[in-house]
Amino acid sequence: MLRKGYWIGLSAILIVGLLLTACAPKTVTVTVEVPVERTVEVPVERTVEVTVPAPKGAITVLGVWGGDERVAFQDAVAPFSEQTGIGVAFEGTRDLAAVLTTRVEAGNPPDIAILPNPGQLYELAEAGHLVPLDSFLDVNQIAADYGQSWVDLASYDGHLYGIFYKVAIKSLVWYNPKAFEAAGYEVPTTWDELIALSDQIVADGGTPWCIGLESGPASGWPGTDWIEDIMLRTAGPEVYDQWVRHEIPWTDPAVKTAWETFGQIVRNDDYVWGGTTGALSTNFGDSPAPMFDDPPGCYMHRQASFITGFFPEGLVAGEDYDFFPLPPIDPQWGTPALIAGDVVVMLNDTPEVRQFVEYLAGPEPQEIWAGLGGFISANKNVSLDAYPDDLTRKMAQAITTAEVARFDGSDLMPAAVGAGSFWSGVLDYVGGTDLDTVLEEIEATAVDAYGQ
Amino acid sequence: MKERVFRWLSRFPLHLVLIGAALVWLTPSVGLLVSSVRPYEAVIRTGWWTVLAHPFDFSQYTLQNYREILLTQGMAQAFRNSLLITIPSTIIPIGIAAFAAYAFAWMEFPGRQVIFAIVVGLLVVPLQMTLIPLLRAYNRLGLAGSYVGIWLAHTGYGLPFAVYLLRNFFGALPRDLFESAYLDGASELTAFFRLALPLSVPALASLAIFQFLWVWNDLLVALIYLGGTEEVAPLTLKLSSLINSLGQNWHLLTAAAFISMALPLVVFFSLQRYFVRGILAGSVKG
Repeated sequence: MLRKGYWIGLSAILIVGLLLTACAPKTVTVTVEVPVERTVEVPVERTVEVTVPAPKGAITVLGVWGGDERVAFQDAVAPFSEQTGIGVAFEGTRDLAAVLTTRVEAGNPPDIAILPNPGQLYELAEAGHLVPLDSFLDVNQIAADYGQSWVDLASYDGHLYGIFYKVAIKSLVWYNPKAFEAAGYEVPTTWDELIALSDQIVADGGTPWCIGLESGPASGWPGTDWIEDIMLRTAGPEVYDQWVRHEIPWTDPAVKTAWETFGQIVRNDDYVWGGTTGALSTNFGDSPAPMFDDPPGCYMHRQASFITGFFPEGLVAGEDYDFFPLPPIDPQWGTPALIAGDVVVMLNDTPEVRQFVEYLAGPEPQEIWAGLGGFISANKNVSLDAYPDDLTRKMAQAITTAEVARFDGSDLMPAAVGAGSFWSGVLDYVGGTDLDTVLEEIEATAVDAYGQ
Repeated sequence: MKERVFRWLSRFPLHLVLIGAALVWLTPSVGLLVSSVRPYEAVIRTGWWTVLAHPFDFSQYTLQNYREILLTQGMAQAFRNSLLITIPSTIIPIGIAAFAAYAFAWMEFPGRQVIFAIVVGLLVVPLQMTLIPLLRAYNRLGLAGSYVGIWLAHTGYGLPFAVYLLRNFFGALPRDLFESAYLDGASELTAFFRLALPLSVPALASLAIFQFLWVWNDLLVALIYLGGTEEVAPLTLKLSSLINSLGQNWHLLTAAAFISMALPLVVFFSLQRYFVRGILAGSVKG
């Protein structure tokens, strides 16, 4: 009896499986070209059925965006689809590098990819997988819209391969204006004032800084931003560039000074909320939260413009939180801006994709997204009125008008250093390892990584 | 009475160890569950264990995370996609593996051991190595982005383990049973369907759970072969796309974990009784 029941069960399962096999994939598979001889034989009803729902012809976009970014991007490209009838299918994954490499190697790259940093752009361009954008975009228009540094960063071997899209400025110190006012603190304008303010806060029984270095497998990167920012202020942009290109070793005094300056803050247990242990074990996104407690757990937090997405809900920009630029250290280098951004690249050259890239580069979609928040454009002709609040406007202005801007160095270094030994080096240093040891270790990996 | 107390006392250390192990094992899941019902403001400030100070203060809990996920557009579609991928990807490999395992265990043919060794050897091949060549082949065959493609991929990835597990199970069935069946005139097919399969329900059920969980939780294989567009994306992809590029909204993932756990739990508990049933109970009657 039982066996019979089992028999029936098994065959039922098999039948269901077969049915699913038979009916599910129709829409997707058949769109791939059928050999010509065959199409002749196929009955008319069938060919009709096949061509109906396929959203092929839609432009495929692979990017790192998710959540409200994904929604905002879809809103931003909606007018394009309406005007041209060309659909845009967005695929998001935070593991972009792996998926994109696989797709490219397997021969079906997406039409457009949105890379989180220019490092992969250079790799893809070198391998010949990218379409040079200056082959069809109006170069003068690009020059008028984007600052030269953005164009240079997205160029490889004399050709423009990318458009910087969603950019961020990293040289910001966030603070809580209400807490500052209550304690009678002033926004510092020089490094000495910043340190004096930190000492003042400690003397008043508070903690000046919130620092969080934990970020899963990428732990340590917030520290690299600190060091890069300081390096720009102590050694200047030329030395910074040499350092990023590994023309000076990691053991160079200029590099060492930057680390030591960072160490003065992060390795001082009085300065950092939770001390070095707190800095090492707190997630970067969670770390600014104590700033908004009453009494404040800390008063300042150096982080990029995107950190506002992690702030507790219900805070008002400009009232509950505000920022000041990380102050200059050596007056001759002023207040340079450390920047980062996602870059749009093109992998398939078709007229539709060209049209789409032209649309993306222009101000219209960027103004739509800017209005939805969480977006800063690198395009100078995106109206500042498009941003939802004064704070974002201030950041956008800082990016497009910065006299000296440098891209996040760790994003430009070879991955073994910029996404490897530099990150772990920061953690070791904060954890108490001797600075010379840390720098020698990074130097050893850099010699390997750049040598290739 | 005395005896009972004595027995209870003598077993007490064992029970204590078992309960302790269970608690340690459960702690991360409990933490996740507690975090999923706490508001974001609380999660970023304090650890989940702080609720233990006054666990019955219900004002500190919220279902906001669950609400936000379940009300996201396209969640039903993603759930359907997941089922559409998972059910065939569980049935097909188990069906094939059962036939193969029976042949490896009970049929004599040249090269049997060698082929079996190769199949088992495939267990150690990391699936990441196959992504590019397989996707390239799929592009040629027009299978990329289709459900058939991902069913085949999951079937291939699941088969070595399935064959290995079932072969060992089939091989452990008493030889007398099959011999008497053959003597009674049963063909191989009859022996397979009427003896091997019904006796192996516990193994088949555990295999089904393994394969189901693996496919249900899979993100990478679906992302590569199927792509992440709304129409085809399974639940795992949909949930991961709730998170912004730098990890904003990560707190939603705590609730997402429990939502995606719901169906596997149902599958587990509905198949669980097969584990308990005596493996060979009543199979050989005198």
